[in-house]
Amino acid sequence: MEDQSFAEDFAEIMRDQDASGMSRRRILQSALAMGVAPLAASLGARGVLAADKPEVVVVNWGGLAVEVFQQAFADPYNAEGGNMVIDGSGPLNGKILTMVQANDVTWDICDAGVTTLADLGPKGALQPINYDIVDKSKVVDGMTYELGVANYFFSSVMAWDSDKVDGTPSPADFFDTKKYPGRRMIRKDSQAMLELALLADGVAPEDLYPLDVERAFAKFDSIRDDLLFWSSGSQSQSLLRDGECVMGFLWSTRANMLEKETAGRIKYTFDKGLLQPGLWVVPKNNPAGDEAFRAIASMQRPEEQVYVLEQMGNGPANPAAAEMVPEQLRSANPADPENRKVQATLNADWYIEHHRETYQAFLDRIVL
Amino acid sequence: MSSFARDNASLPVRGSAWTIICLMILPMSVVFAVSVTDRPYLSLPENGVSLQYYRNLFTSPEWLLSIWQSFVIACVSTMVAGALGTLGSIGCWRISSGASNVLRLVMLVPLMLPPIVYGLGAYQVWADLGWINTYTGIIVAHAMTGIPYVVITVSTALAGLDPKLEQAARSLGAGMGATIWYVIFPNIMPGILSGLVFAFIHSWDELVIALFIAGRNVFTLPRRMWDGINENLDPTMAAVASVLILVTLGLLVFELLGRGRKR
Amino acid sequence: MQRKYNPQLTYWLLVLPALLAMAVFYFYPVSRVLWMSVTIPEPGLGNFAQLANSHSINRMLWTTLRISLISTALTLILGYVVAYVITHAEDRRKRLLFMAVLASLWISVLVRAFAWFALLRSDGLINQMLMGLGITDTPLPMMWNEFSVLVGIVHAMLPLAILPLYSGMQSIDPRLVAAARGLGANRRGAFWRIFFPLTLPGVFGASILVFIYALGFYVTPALLGGGRKMMIAEYIKVQILEVVNWGAGSMLASVLLIFIVVTLAIVSRLVDLRKLFGAA
Repeated sequence: MEDQSFAEDFAEIMRDQDASGMSRRRILQSALAMGVAPLAASLGARGVLAADKPEVVVVNWGGLAVEVFQQAFADPYNAEGGNMVIDGSGPLNGKILTMVQANDVTWDICDAGVTTLADLGPKGALQPINYDIVDKSKVVDGMTYELGVANYFFSSVMAWDSDKVDGTPSPADFFDTKKYPGRRMIRKDSQAMLELALLADGVAPEDLYPLDVERAFAKFDSIRDDLLFWSSGSQSQSLLRDGECVMGFLWSTRANMLEKETAGRIKYTFDKGLLQPGLWVVPKNNPAGDEAFRAIASMQRPEEQVYVLEQMGNGPANPAAAEMVPEQLRSANPADPENRKVQATLNADWYIEHHRETYQAFLDRIVL
Repeated sequence: MSSFARDNASLPVRGSAWTIICLMILPMSVVFAVSVTDRPYLSLPENGVSLQYYRNLFTSPEWLLSIWQSFVIACVSTMVAGALGTLGSIGCWRISSGASNVLRLVMLVPLMLPPIVYGLGAYQVWADLGWINTYTGIIVAHAMTGIPYVVITVSTALAGLDPKLEQAARSLGAGMGATIWYVIFPNIMPGILSGLVFAFIHSWDELVIALFIAGRNVFTLPRRMWDGINENLDPTMAAVASVLILVTLGLLVFELLGRGRKR
Repeated sequence: MQRKYNPQLTYWLLVLPALLAMAVFYFYPVSRVLWMSVTIPEPGLGNFAQLANSHSINRMLWTTLRISLISTALTLILGYVVAYVITHAEDRRKRLLFMAVLASLWISVLVRAFAWFALLRSDGLINQMLMGLGITDTPLPMMWNEFSVLVGIVHAMLPLAILPLYSGMQSIDPRLVAAARGLGANRRGAFWRIFFPLTLPGVFGASILVFIYALGFYVTPALLGGGRKMMIAEYIKVQILEVVNWGAGSMLASVLLIFIVVTLAIVSRLVDLRKLFGAA
């Protein structure tokens, strides 16, 4: 309580001084010296500086995404009197659940995937999306779920090192270590990896679900000794860049970055890839309440989503964005109609039902 | 006589020992070399030394904030651990030996149990207290795990202190506080300082607890480095690592000087 | 100023703040982990049944145990050589060597793992050097496997082993070895028959220390292991934060905790734990 009033006081001083012409920067510096700047910034922003609208905390996975989300989503929203903050500390499922159970939720909107729906939905840790505020028509193909709504698309694709792999390998060659010897990397997660294995094995995209888990496991088992696992995007990038492996299943965003930074040595294809939605989810009892949904609605604007595509390669979820994508970006857009034709699309319902056991089995059978 | 008594190790043995020591130091030197690379990825400098990654580090508000936050957290948690650990050790020093052995062992427990176990438990309890992502949360956790370092060094210093000194002070009429302040403290100061240095380094470098408790408001330097390694491996991480190393080495030198003066 | 006070009582009062703080903010959280393991998802020992049923947990525990044992053995052998040489070095060199050990003890494990990361990758400094010298054409796979994990752990644990080994060796009366030599034993004989047996308590203590730290090690295996060599600490973190399988996560944390406490309880009959952890 005392902290808060102190912060209020501090914020007021800042405004007064500002008006009287004293440099805001100098005050900030002295505040930093006192060690209160972070405190004041967080508390001040929450209730004082923008008195009208509550602060909306959007949590993503850090790195470049903090800056890009700030420019794409937070700046326009705040310009209209909102108060959105981007937090890059990583909305791990376990952290969301801990907050909800301890009744101390500080996050409003989390950058998540279908596995979050599967892991946290049954535990009652997620707030149903309020579709009176969030516009379903601004999301393609019904990628709107009770507890989450698509904000962007990304794909899991195959990439290869053209120095070590001649020609254009087909996804089936991923599992042919005689034809192309060398290590392969996959994600340390069953999500999308099973689909890619099945697609490579000749399963048609429309017959993919329900997944034949056993068949996919057998596929990976056949090249078990040549498998490497990545657990973060940058790891997948460095494994291929550094030549630790000759082929890999990874996110199209990272594959695209790799192609650029290696001047085409690393190549990738959307062929037989899997299109996945990046979802916004809202933890139960989030501090900003319904304002979180107004913030989500604001982030549905196509131009904002196209900006994210330009900066990071995430495909827009709003169908209206399709025409706004500049020509040169289309080939790298996971959700581009041309790319969608050759890919399968993830089925969230299957994940909500089966993800937990499948992931555990994947750890059991393939990873450990 | 002494050279015969020493019976120096043979050349191959000495050679391997020096090789091992060099291998122990090597990675640290590599970090410095990589941090001044002129190339855009983890590598040794090719055409000259460049300070661009230090510039990245010291002009980035995020990194500066993390350095500052880690510093504040290390200072406060060190003071807490120092106060609790020093008083506790002095108490143990004079309590009957059976009980004090157990007490000292209890205060060393954070050194014995894996941080992952404590991190998980603290995470659950702190969540109930609303301490996740707060200075309080990290400071308390670091203070508790810092206590053993203080207990070890202060107990060692006390072991070399004649208990009669304390009895003499009391028989001259000094109260408890005066005895501790004027008689015990000056004599064990080097031990206390060493303990503070180690507790500081412990907090400054700590990652596992921060993985659970740190967040947007409090993001310590090791935590930001961890995220940096997982997000984007560029030589800036080597610059951060160099800063961590330099602070640690500086503190160790300070600690050695402090001990040397006493001797 | 009070003249008459009960010294014993006041000394207890000095210990009290530390004890209370640790009870509330250290031991209570640790006991919470045990509590979670028998209450989530439902009360009972269901989580512990996974120790018998789950293949992945078994394999992971086995990996953890194997890597910990191998790295303990390697650390002890290398550490013994270093401690031996430090013990027998002349004063100035002794100080230099000692400083190197202390520095490497206190440098953050994250930084040290990161350094090995830069060294061991296919595109890393060691491979660049080997290829530059023409020793090999293709980069050696030194990273993302058990080798890198072992290198990282041994490097992290070496100073922890050297310090207790050294303090044990230092307390051996050099005249014993000298006497053996005087009685006609050669250097090797004097070492194996006289010196080495006297260092065994130190070796034992150092092994326990290293083994216990290796078991619960998070940073180095997570950074250098590349997924396949998941050890218990990383597995716990994944179960708690990512998979949200708190039952399995807290159960494994409890197993780790109980295993270490029991080991230490047994060992404490043979070694003074305060000395062991105090030496480091």
